[in-house]
Amino acid sequence: MRKVLTGNQAVAYGAMLSDVQVVAAYPITPQTTIIEELADMQAEGLADLDYIRVESEHSAMAACIGASMGGVRTFTATCGQGLFLMHEMLHYATGARTPVVLANVNRAIAAPWSIWSDQTDSVSQRETGWIQLYCEGNQEVLDTTIMAFKIAESLRLPAMVILDAFFLSHTSEPIEIPDIEAVRDFLPPYDPGDLWLDPDNPRTFGSLCMPDTYMEFRWQIQRDMERAKQVIDEVQDDFGRVFGRNYRQVEGYRSDDADVVMVVSGTVASTGRDAIDFLRARGEGVGMVKIKTLRPFPRQELVAALRGKKKVAVIDRNFSPGATGVWAQEIRSALYELPEDERPIIYGYIAGLGGRDISIKTIEEIYQKTREADQPDDVDIWIGVNYV
Amino acid sequence: MKYTDRQVHVPLCSVSTTSSLVNKTGTWKSAQPLFIDRVSPCNQQCPAGEDITGYMYLVGQGRYEEAWRLIMEENPFPAIMGRVCFHTCEERCNRTEHDDAVSIHMVERFIGDYGLANSLRITVPGPERKERVAIVGAGPAGLTAAYHLRKMGNGVSIFDSNQKPGGMMRYGIPSYRLPKEVLDGEISRLDEMGVEFKIAVKVGKDVTWDSLDNEFEAVFMGIGAWEETSLGIEGLNKKGIYNALEFLEDINLGKEPKIGKRIAVIGGGNSAIDCARVSRRLGAEATIVYRRSEAEMPAHTEEIEMAREEGVRFLFLASPKAIYGEETVAGVKLEKMALGEMDDSGRRRPVPTGETFDIDCDGMITAIGEATRVGDLPPFTSHRGGVVEADRMGQTTHLRFFAGGDIIDIPHTVTHAIGSGKRAAVAIDRFLRGIENDKDSPDQFTWGESGTINLAWLKGTSLFCRRNPSLEVVDYTDMNPFYFDCLPGVKTKRIPVDERLKGFQEVSEPFSEEEVISEARRCFNCGSCTECGNCCIFCPENSIKRDPDGYGYVADMDFCKGCGICVNECPRGAMTMKLME
Repeated sequence: MRKVLTGNQAVAYGAMLSDVQVVAAYPITPQTTIIEELADMQAEGLADLDYIRVESEHSAMAACIGASMGGVRTFTATCGQGLFLMHEMLHYATGARTPVVLANVNRAIAAPWSIWSDQTDSVSQRETGWIQLYCEGNQEVLDTTIMAFKIAESLRLPAMVILDAFFLSHTSEPIEIPDIEAVRDFLPPYDPGDLWLDPDNPRTFGSLCMPDTYMEFRWQIQRDMERAKQVIDEVQDDFGRVFGRNYRQVEGYRSDDADVVMVVSGTVASTGRDAIDFLRARGEGVGMVKIKTLRPFPRQELVAALRGKKKVAVIDRNFSPGATGVWAQEIRSALYELPEDERPIIYGYIAGLGGRDISIKTIEEIYQKTREADQPDDVDIWIGVNYV
Repeated sequence: MKYTDRQVHVPLCSVSTTSSLVNKTGTWKSAQPLFIDRVSPCNQQCPAGEDITGYMYLVGQGRYEEAWRLIMEENPFPAIMGRVCFHTCEERCNRTEHDDAVSIHMVERFIGDYGLANSLRITVPGPERKERVAIVGAGPAGLTAAYHLRKMGNGVSIFDSNQKPGGMMRYGIPSYRLPKEVLDGEISRLDEMGVEFKIAVKVGKDVTWDSLDNEFEAVFMGIGAWEETSLGIEGLNKKGIYNALEFLEDINLGKEPKIGKRIAVIGGGNSAIDCARVSRRLGAEATIVYRRSEAEMPAHTEEIEMAREEGVRFLFLASPKAIYGEETVAGVKLEKMALGEMDDSGRRRPVPTGETFDIDCDGMITAIGEATRVGDLPPFTSHRGGVVEADRMGQTTHLRFFAGGDIIDIPHTVTHAIGSGKRAAVAIDRFLRGIENDKDSPDQFTWGESGTINLAWLKGTSLFCRRNPSLEVVDYTDMNPFYFDCLPGVKTKRIPVDERLKGFQEVSEPFSEEEVISEARRCFNCGSCTECGNCCIFCPENSIKRDPDGYGYVADMDFCKGCGICVNECPRGAMTMKLME
């Protein structure tokens, strides 16, 4: 079935098709319509889920962790300030090994107050142990929501589906909605195994751990994050076989024969495809690599995609004050393993913060700067800032 | 070996190897929740000791017969009560702080009418005991005492000098407030319960008080107040002048009193209102003459309002000095009054000004109060001006004689009379069984300012007061109003004034079943557990469970940490925290 859906509706459809059992959420612009849609679906009998109203995002995540510990499929959504309020519980969800799925609508951080898109909220949660899946379009949002449950549950790690505020959340596109029975075949009910809060056999979870065992628990998180790279590939392959839409953690676009490669994530990738076509038509040797996963970071695929390129321009719709854009940091670190003659020069660009548009013209400007400079002017270059 | 293939000897997350139930976390607490049943303000002030919160709960679930039986535990006349009681319960309703009071009397009337329409009966076994009780006076006090004594297994005979039982309910209240078929229907149930009625027998004349004293083990006196207080001025024997009691009695007997077309009614109580409203129904103009102002009128506000709707006029701060006319009354000379200091009743005293004026009238009714005819009391009764001396349970100085209703020192209302009859029934039953008023003294189980007993509470069979009953009254601040939507109450509808003035048709229209249910569901059920489950849902320790023995919930003290969330989330103040020793 095809429907015209906003990104937020696509998230809700994804969760509903995944037979999510518990939703605990707190409304915040621009996430609100996700949880409203789910509430409507529940009220209309379209989704058989328990909806927990809470007083904050911190409580929302706490309730999700509790519900997930109870052995059921659990979902929430938030953005920006809400994600920050959840921060403590995000770490806990990982440590408790609860495969909660969260849709985060990328929203810029206050102050100054903003409701528009940038990635600072989600990249700030890099160290929480959540799998992070960035989406380019509304179809990918819906499909990734379904895949996120499968990935999270098979690893018992929480997963975040990430979409740009307004560019996706409030923009409509025609979407292919998978048949629910096919989704059920693809995604069987969550099986918590032996690790769940069984009222008939109450046990204590997450209690105090002495120094002689703490590291072992944390090590397992890291091991499973490493396994996640393979699991994500398998799940995406599976999804492609069943539903005919293929996703990769790292996807090249006209990059094989390019000298200069732009590395992008989120909606910038869709503008990027047009920008690349436009520049190619002008005869420029430029290509693009879209990264879907920040965590686990797809080091090997990325190295393979960028090996031997002359120049790599990373567009970060986020930044880490005192360092650089987060994607640029990760890519610099990953490419360091290449021998010097195969290692491209990395140009880091900061653009599009607080919802400022990254247009084809912006990408063209970034490409020009990259092509013209033998070395980057600085560790990162801010695009479109109105200096006086 | 590859990093991702390695294992460690711990599970994915830390988890106890044994059941966590061994860890009795409840031992840390310093306070514990208690489920208690407290008294709602409506119940607390009900002179008849009804369990209003209880029957509201049942009615809200459509359990009408059970609701009827719950009222009948306390009060034999729900259909009468729902009509004539001035429902001070509604003034005290906690819902008044929220939106509107619950229309308790209309729900009670519905339940009473349901009982009558479905011929519901109270069945009692024959008298279990040889002792017999004489009841003198078949008014609300006497009938109630008879009813409860009969239910307690005693043989009861009831004497009344009138042609029919009912007392003031029959002869004092006009049928637009209390239709006769309702009265007859409710009283007939006593007949079926085996109460022996000795009607048209005047004790003190047809049979002597001494013979009752000899033949019965106990006697209840509920002979009422049938003597109209005199105005104490000249000319009261002129034609066209009635006192309220004889006027209303004539009306209730179906006689047409010979009264004029312009009536002056003297007095400010409910009888005065009744007389004025009846006069309007007889086609006369009626003016109430009262010596104080409207604020001091003892009549109920709704009655005053309905009288006004029906065209009754009011003349305040005026007191009769003389009556004009030859054979028939032609007018009254009135003295203007002013308001002075507060008197003992907390109302401002009328003070004469010396200034007079006249009004014309061709009929006059005096309604300034009723008292007991002293000559009707047994000679051995101790009384002060007709007010019989009795303890708070109704026992007089002549120990086998008990008293209730208008002859003792309580407000002269049907509801207070019913309460006093029940109180005396308990006292008589205990007296006959030789139970001293010691540690189980009913004093511990009385509700309210008038000290009325709730029998279900006394017996422990009430719907709600089963768990740690407490006489503490719940007020609005004890509630959690978050859980109650604001919903305006259903208003009582009255028939149009021109319909009313055509005859004696009942003025208030009944509520529909939907309206009754919606009103009953508005009840907060203050202080009573309705098994809403909030305590259970909110307990972070899962330590509150359904009571395996039946009603309500229990807290598992092994795991309750004493956080008090349950008490906070109880919508109706039926829980409290107790510090532990």
